[in-house]
Amino acid sequence: MLRFLARRLLGALVITVLISAITFFLFFALPAEPALMSCGKNCTPDAVALINKNLGLDQPVPVQYWHYMAGIVAGRDFTVGHCPAPCFGYSFSNQQPVWGTIVDRFPTTLSIALGGAAVFLVVGTGLGLLAAAFRGTWIDKLFSSLSLVGNALQIYFVGVVALAVLVSGLHWMDNPAYHPITEDPVKWFTGMLIPWLVLSIIFIANYSRMTRSLMIEQLAEDHVRTARAKGMGRRTVFFRYAFRGALAPVVTLFGIDLGSLFGGAIITEFTFSLHGLGRLAVSSVSETDLPTLMGVMLVGCTAIVVANIVVDATYALIDPRVRLA
Amino acid sequence: MDDAFLSVRDLHVRFRTEDGTVHAVDGLSFDVPRGRTLGIVGESGSGKSATGLAVLGLHDPRTTTVTGSVRLGGQEITGAPEPVLEKLRGNTVAMVFQDSLTALSPYHTVGHQIAEPFRKHTGASRREARQRAVDMLGKVGIPHPALRVDDYPHQFSGGMRQRAMIAMALVCDPQLLIADEPTTALDVTVQAQILDLLKDLQQQTGTAIVLITHDLGVVARTADDVLVMYAGRAAERGTVRDVLRTPRHPYTWGLLGSMPRLWTPVDQPLTPVPGAPPSLLTPPPGCPFHPRCAHTERVGGDRCRTERPELPPGRGAACHLGEERTR
Amino acid sequence: MTTTPTSPRRATPRTRRSAYAYASALAATALVLSACSSGGGGGGGGKEEGVGEDKTGAANYSVGTKDDSTGPAPEVPGAKKGGTVSVLQRDAFNHLDPGQIYYVDMLTAQLLYNRSLTNYKVDDKGRVKVVGDLATDAGTSSDGGKTWTYTLKDGLKFEDGSPITSQDVRWGIERLYASFETDGPLYIPQWLSGDGNDFRKALPDGPYNGQHLPASVLDTPDDKTIVFHFRRPHADTPFATAMPNIGPVKADKDTKQKYDNAPFSSGPYKVGDYKVGKSLTLVRNEHWDPRTDPIRHQYADRFEVSFGHQFADSTRRFLADQGDDKAALSFSNAVAPEMTEKVLADAGTKNRRFLEIQPYVDYIAFNTDRLKDVRVRRALAYAMPNGQILQQNGGATAGVVATNLLSPAMDGYRPTDPFGKKAKPAGDTDKARELLKEAGKLGQEVVYAYPNTDTQQKVAVVVTQALERAGFKVQKKEVDANTYRTAIAEVKNQFDLYRCSWGADWPVSSTVVPPLFDSRQIADGSQNYSHLNDPKVDAEIDRISAVTDVKQAAPEWQKLADRILTEDVPAVPTFYNRQFSLWGSRLGGVKYHPVYGSADPTAVFVK
Repeated sequence: MLRFLARRLLGALVITVLISAITFFLFFALPAEPALMSCGKNCTPDAVALINKNLGLDQPVPVQYWHYMAGIVAGRDFTVGHCPAPCFGYSFSNQQPVWGTIVDRFPTTLSIALGGAAVFLVVGTGLGLLAAAFRGTWIDKLFSSLSLVGNALQIYFVGVVALAVLVSGLHWMDNPAYHPITEDPVKWFTGMLIPWLVLSIIFIANYSRMTRSLMIEQLAEDHVRTARAKGMGRRTVFFRYAFRGALAPVVTLFGIDLGSLFGGAIITEFTFSLHGLGRLAVSSVSETDLPTLMGVMLVGCTAIVVANIVVDATYALIDPRVRLA
Repeated sequence: MDDAFLSVRDLHVRFRTEDGTVHAVDGLSFDVPRGRTLGIVGESGSGKSATGLAVLGLHDPRTTTVTGSVRLGGQEITGAPEPVLEKLRGNTVAMVFQDSLTALSPYHTVGHQIAEPFRKHTGASRREARQRAVDMLGKVGIPHPALRVDDYPHQFSGGMRQRAMIAMALVCDPQLLIADEPTTALDVTVQAQILDLLKDLQQQTGTAIVLITHDLGVVARTADDVLVMYAGRAAERGTVRDVLRTPRHPYTWGLLGSMPRLWTPVDQPLTPVPGAPPSLLTPPPGCPFHPRCAHTERVGGDRCRTERPELPPGRGAACHLGEERTR
Repeated sequence: MTTTPTSPRRATPRTRRSAYAYASALAATALVLSACSSGGGGGGGGKEEGVGEDKTGAANYSVGTKDDSTGPAPEVPGAKKGGTVSVLQRDAFNHLDPGQIYYVDMLTAQLLYNRSLTNYKVDDKGRVKVVGDLATDAGTSSDGGKTWTYTLKDGLKFEDGSPITSQDVRWGIERLYASFETDGPLYIPQWLSGDGNDFRKALPDGPYNGQHLPASVLDTPDDKTIVFHFRRPHADTPFATAMPNIGPVKADKDTKQKYDNAPFSSGPYKVGDYKVGKSLTLVRNEHWDPRTDPIRHQYADRFEVSFGHQFADSTRRFLADQGDDKAALSFSNAVAPEMTEKVLADAGTKNRRFLEIQPYVDYIAFNTDRLKDVRVRRALAYAMPNGQILQQNGGATAGVVATNLLSPAMDGYRPTDPFGKKAKPAGDTDKARELLKEAGKLGQEVVYAYPNTDTQQKVAVVVTQALERAGFKVQKKEVDANTYRTAIAEVKNQFDLYRCSWGADWPVSSTVVPPLFDSRQIADGSQNYSHLNDPKVDAEIDRISAVTDVKQAAPEWQKLADRILTEDVPAVPTFYNRQFSLWGSRLGGVKYHPVYGSADPTAVFVK
């Protein structure tokens, strides 16, 4: 297990550094001029040169990259002041330390993603189990058609409808908002409810359909028959044997979806006017704010890599045939 | 045989498939007394495994219809409610499956899988059940059972897995053991060990055994009685000695001919039964074996094609050939 | 001075196209619908009277007197103290430092915590007067308009209760010379010390190393008096000193770049809590004295600004009018295009919305270096489908069809219409074809450049169709939105026509005509995108600039603008921007700020 972790972490580090380099150099390959964002209306070539100097953009790109990466490990000094490690630089657009902004935004994205994931994982697999248990009955048919509908929906559509109906129309729920769970767990919960609900509606379909077919597959497995031949009850066979087998692929799918939840955070956060990493990523791109973009990429990348390690470890716990080494 | 522990009468098993109904078992009757081993022999698709599953009531009622009577120690199995069956399975009657790699759960330790039915049927504590699992593993010849009890099936060799499955089946001292091709996946030496193990255990416990196999060699080695199945029906029945020495059904002749013998020269080809088993969707009229039978002309008229031969009670064969049958 | 496609003063200049991809998809659907409901793509121009909610009509500006400059501001009938006002904004503020502010949302926000030498006083009829804010009046000129003197009022205080002196105003101006202050308007430093970036040489480190501008440039003879000695006469000075960066910064509170997060307040509110990119809370400043302030009130206890509200989100909240949203407004979020019909149809919104002309104009510039034949340019101007362009930009609630280069929001505006855009908002194809034929240029190839935003891509389609109907061959050239301005501001660019816009920093056309059409401005990065080089125009610009009375100069600018448009045809205006705002029902005192083109928060109260 330890060797597995060490190896995966090393791999993750390599990938992250690689992505950071690609991001950094790609940024300069694109037609972007960060200076324009801070140039007001008096934007002469002189003014651009001055701002480029202020931003450190007058140096060769590899040198800038080196300074940036070194800053993450060792901290960096700017004209504004010292930026302690991990230093992701100062934002081009608002002169804030990027790290502070990320620390402020990350919990929002995490709350949306993990909370939503918890809901759709539990409800989705639950519905799939029900459908599998009552295969061929009306319950199964209802869920199957519902999941077809859910699968065709998109966050921005369901999100807008949910806001219009649940908040503006029926006043059942509050406008989505983020309150730190540490300050007010109840507000945190009610503020996140709609995003979770909407994410669930969209993702539940996949999980219920997948769980159903996996369960049907698993229930036909030899070892499940063996369990029945031993006199195990229906429930035991269903959950302890068949579901255990169905769980591993579900966890794998979940690992992939966790990545797409982070990626989809952009749309989720815009739909619900929330401030997370997704929005930060978009604004950093449109504001050609390289330090923020780099910070978001690195943190997002790390989050996805860590999530994948957790998923792999979980998979190994579920299926002992998978060896972690 | 009045003291038969397992008594099957006119058993029919029908599967509903997309193409139509498959009549997998078609009016089968047999008995197995305590302490004896019945070998059920036949090609694949002859209905022997379906018979085994019917004895445990394991067929899926949504796709399968089981009629007739299966009595275990006097208790009727067919149509019995699930809770009753659950109490019998693994307890009174247990089953050993062919492929131990797929038949054991990859997600649970061997010990857990052995202990689980013991706890359920005897109400033993977790610790007692675990000790029982260790004992059982020892009994079936697993070295260092206390160490191996927490291993997963994939950490066992094929032979060890099959032993573990036997341990699992016998953990509650069942009165009937159904072993469905228990040695097919194993190499010859291991095969022999497993069969000896089954014999030994039977001598200790007096368990009745139904040994389902396609291999007459296995039957010759292990069984007391033989039931030859063809196309869902019994073709021939008798003691191992009788059936192997004086087979009466042309199909049994074919099976015996296809059996490799140690004294057969290596370069002499085996003589398998020519042709393929009939489709059970549309079984042939008359004797189901007649399309493959070389002796139909010895029977008068069209009888083989039109008239279904009956298996007489006791020793006998379902064939229209008279007493003059010889190979 | 202003004219850029990413013109800072515009309500929606900060291109964030990728983020809005999906919002635009929704908007596009709505546009198609609204195009149908307005009777086909004939052009939105015909609809302008239909919506017709402009209260101001023609602009009305004047320079106020000393009386006008004296506080307190007239009480708003029915106003109450207390309560929290929510402000829903789409884009996060980039700056709080008044020295860095140039965008409409932040310009509006700073009114609450920052005071400048002069400011705009808007009365309930929408008339605007430039009055003294910190100063006792709008300024006194001497030396033929080169010297301007301001006297500070009594009782002015910072948020810590310390008095505001002329030294603080000097500090506020001198820090604009430091190299990190690049975002804000730089009129005053440039008038004092030199054009472009040259002014910085007069005080390279700002005031931070103990150096100051000499008294011959900026003089503070006593604690109350500030004297500007400009290099040339500037009749517009009262307007220039109304920019937010011509105000006080207390030297020992000046944290340079970090001042952007914690400006030291001189207005009725101060920064309570600021989460960059997320939210800003403004709370009462107890040391602000209403008797010194002719334009601001302090009715609400707090303003809670939150960012990240797409137009669709803010509009939905205002329409639903529930809970906290009842006391919510937005400085600059417009009603989402797809929801305008719904808002207009809802009688309940009648008293909590406005639809007003902004001082921003969209136009298409012609590169006179490449299109040398004025008849070709004139043909382009006739052919331009203004109505359809407006429709693609959001239709009647987003603007009205433009007929000439100046905006109705500008002082001295007259509704001249040299290309008959009123009658033919879809363009005069016949006339254009005729002109082109006459020039012998039928089939003339033109390169049309535009930024790759969703709206501009759609605009490009209607423009291309209209021009090709008139006999042009159009080559579309899509440019990355981030670098679009740089690309078209290159003198040697390879385009014939390109989409531009201008927004005036103050409602006098001296901020429009010279930067757009003075040949001496032609340089990379400048705003004379047409590269118009007409000595007669230059001479006329000099003549009108010398007029010391801005009220007299205003109609002259309009005349010049019209003459440029008819004789030189360096561009064709397409539409005048409008702001369509909606707010919650529990708010009172919300009014339109005609100079910034946004919702003015200074008199807002919670009912």
